[in-house]
Amino acid sequence: MRAYEKNKRLILGAVGIFIFLCIWYAATKLTSLGKVMPDPVTVFGGFFHAFIQPIGTRTMTMHILISLRRMLIPYVFGGFFGVLVGVLMGWYKAADAIFMPYIQMLRPIPPIAWIPLSIIWFGFDEGSKYFLIFLACFFTIALTTYNGVHSVDETLVRASKMLGANDRQLFLTIVLPTTVPYIFSGLQVALGSAWATIVAAEMIRSSEGVGWLIVRGQDVGNMTQIMIGIVAIALTGLLITTLMRVLESKLCAWTVRGK
Amino acid sequence: MSENKNVLIEFRHVDKEFDKPEEGMYKVVGDLNIQVRENEFLVLFGPGQCGKSTILNMIAGFEMPTAGEIICDGKAVDRPGPERGMVFQNTALFPWLTVMGNVEYGPKMQGVKKEERRRRAQKYIDLVGLQGFENSFPVKLSGGMQQRVGIARAYCNEPLVMLLDEPFGHLDAQTRYLMQDELTRIWQAEKRTVIFVTNNIEEAVYLADRILVLRNCPTGVKAEYEINLPRPRNYTDPEFLRLRREIDAVVDHTL
Amino acid sequence: MKKKQGARMDKYLLVSVLSVCVGIFVWWLVTDGLGLFRSNVLPSPVKVCQTFLKKWVEARPDGATLLQHLMASLKVALGGYLIGALVGIPLGIFMAWNDKVDMLVRPVFDLVRTIPGVAWTSVMVTLVGIGYMSKALVIFISAMVAMVINSYSGIKQTKTVHLWVGQTFGASNWDLLTRVAIPSALPMIFTGLDVALGSAWTTLVAAELLASTRGLGFMIQQARGIFRLDIVIVGMVVIAITGAILSSIIRKIGDRVVKGGRLR
Repeated sequence: MRAYEKNKRLILGAVGIFIFLCIWYAATKLTSLGKVMPDPVTVFGGFFHAFIQPIGTRTMTMHILISLRRMLIPYVFGGFFGVLVGVLMGWYKAADAIFMPYIQMLRPIPPIAWIPLSIIWFGFDEGSKYFLIFLACFFTIALTTYNGVHSVDETLVRASKMLGANDRQLFLTIVLPTTVPYIFSGLQVALGSAWATIVAAEMIRSSEGVGWLIVRGQDVGNMTQIMIGIVAIALTGLLITTLMRVLESKLCAWTVRGK
Repeated sequence: MSENKNVLIEFRHVDKEFDKPEEGMYKVVGDLNIQVRENEFLVLFGPGQCGKSTILNMIAGFEMPTAGEIICDGKAVDRPGPERGMVFQNTALFPWLTVMGNVEYGPKMQGVKKEERRRRAQKYIDLVGLQGFENSFPVKLSGGMQQRVGIARAYCNEPLVMLLDEPFGHLDAQTRYLMQDELTRIWQAEKRTVIFVTNNIEEAVYLADRILVLRNCPTGVKAEYEINLPRPRNYTDPEFLRLRREIDAVVDHTL
Repeated sequence: MKKKQGARMDKYLLVSVLSVCVGIFVWWLVTDGLGLFRSNVLPSPVKVCQTFLKKWVEARPDGATLLQHLMASLKVALGGYLIGALVGIPLGIFMAWNDKVDMLVRPVFDLVRTIPGVAWTSVMVTLVGIGYMSKALVIFISAMVAMVINSYSGIKQTKTVHLWVGQTFGASNWDLLTRVAIPSALPMIFTGLDVALGSAWTTLVAAELLASTRGLGFMIQQARGIFRLDIVIVGMVVIAITGAILSSIIRKIGDRVVKGGRLR
């Protein structure tokens, strides 16, 4: 019975995607949309073809890898410092009082709105993109970490003290484990916004990467290339968020959510 | 019994007030004087919200008396410590640690070597009847089993006194009876001073060497009963029922 | 962690105020004070404040006053957002309520939602050209996606017990949806409205940076070109404040509409 239900979900899902592609195909062939919009066969054909035949100077693999590298390097740094500052603010009231006003003031600025400033400060190269992604990750992760430290269950703190833990042990064995799921949800959200930000940044200024694919398509009026770029962004985005979720469920096996 | 008459814990004129934002100072415990003997099973019994848990929290060192002092093993209590083990009503197990991880937590914090603390933890896991569940996470265990872990965890630190704060309050009636038997068995196997808080008369009479009946706030001792029934006890024994009725007549039934 | 609030609170508030003052002083020191940074790299706080006040009435250098830019941005963002909400909420509810539809549409939707809103800008510009329509469409998509996700999970989180209660009173499927599921999903729907607003506003800025002739995003992009960093910073501040105000309005409305508080 459960196997049947599972298969039903899979089959209907596949049917859904197939219907979607059929509608897309029919719309381009039967209506005037076909003049501006390529059909799905062309788009997906072009997408896979781009792995062999370069678009611009690079193949699809390289475009994706370049975008991923641009995103992951500052993501790691932003994550590291975000966790660090979040933990400091959560654990020490003084750090909270010092840093919180700045975080509250700077966080409402969408990462994308930093683009002009980052271009002036760090130029058109990788530097400005690293800066943007760093910002996109840092605030989110710092705040979720902070909330995590504050969500520590007071009775668990008591239990730990009762069993003889000192402050350092309390921090390592109780506060950190409680915070880990929060850090992961922050990392997850930050990953999504980092990916959106890198796409935007590449669209504004770059000479390779998935965002460039799109904006270059727009410049030369090549809709197929735009759609190929969008497919690449969607699939890569899906891949990295799924990987992150798998990692989370491996590392947080004790929570009900992690199952 | 005479060699067990040494006083282990003593309350000397203990007051406890809380600062409530709207009502001002609120006295929960007033001039409390209690002596707890070594290796006795003491039950603090009283109506809900009467400050029983506050008394336990003060012995544990989570809360400080406003006046007076609490002496444990010759020293004034000023912070939580491993010589006073606590079993919490909501178990307070560490969800990210396995049963073994929870039970060996105390010795680990004291820096006991891995082999030694594993051996010790295993002994208490066996004692509470959880062999085979060493590597399960608490979320997978039933309420009764979780509280067994809580008891083993507190025991594993080999404390002088075990503090149990309505440990079976969240369990269903059937499991509760079972756990009362289990606790009696464990306590008889590993004698410790036990202070057990409950609002259930039957549970109090079933478990206790001595019952202190507490009055409503500010809490003080209203009556004291020595229970000399042989163990295992029987809920329907005439003497058991007589004691139950007698205590019931003394309790404040107002809210 | 530690107790004792009250008197302690004030001490930390003081630390916060001091921290901000020191920050602003350092900013002033490295710009106007010691002249370490010139205003085309980092304008001084004084200069930013002056520009902020002046820009309300002055159209130079980008052809419109701050108010005109703000209004242009709001018009696009709110237009796309409202239509996105109007389409997204029913769509999410419908997807969650009907199992067959759910299984059919869910995978397609999961694919579409991984595409950041900005990426649609090129498609829309190519389809309908630079202008109100293309931006509004991009915002429509990004707001709708957020709306669908939240109203979908709101309906999915309806407690089975509540549905059973409805059934024992003889409620029809339509009654169950409108009297039980939707009310219990309201908090999530409002969360969705808030999230969608945030993503609409962010996407708008991106779209304006890329393809626009007016609006806050356009303003900071133009100012960047001529190294007027004071205008860039003013623009960022206005973007942040407007976003925060809009979001707090949505939350206020949410608190009014969602009666009985939010059960967690």
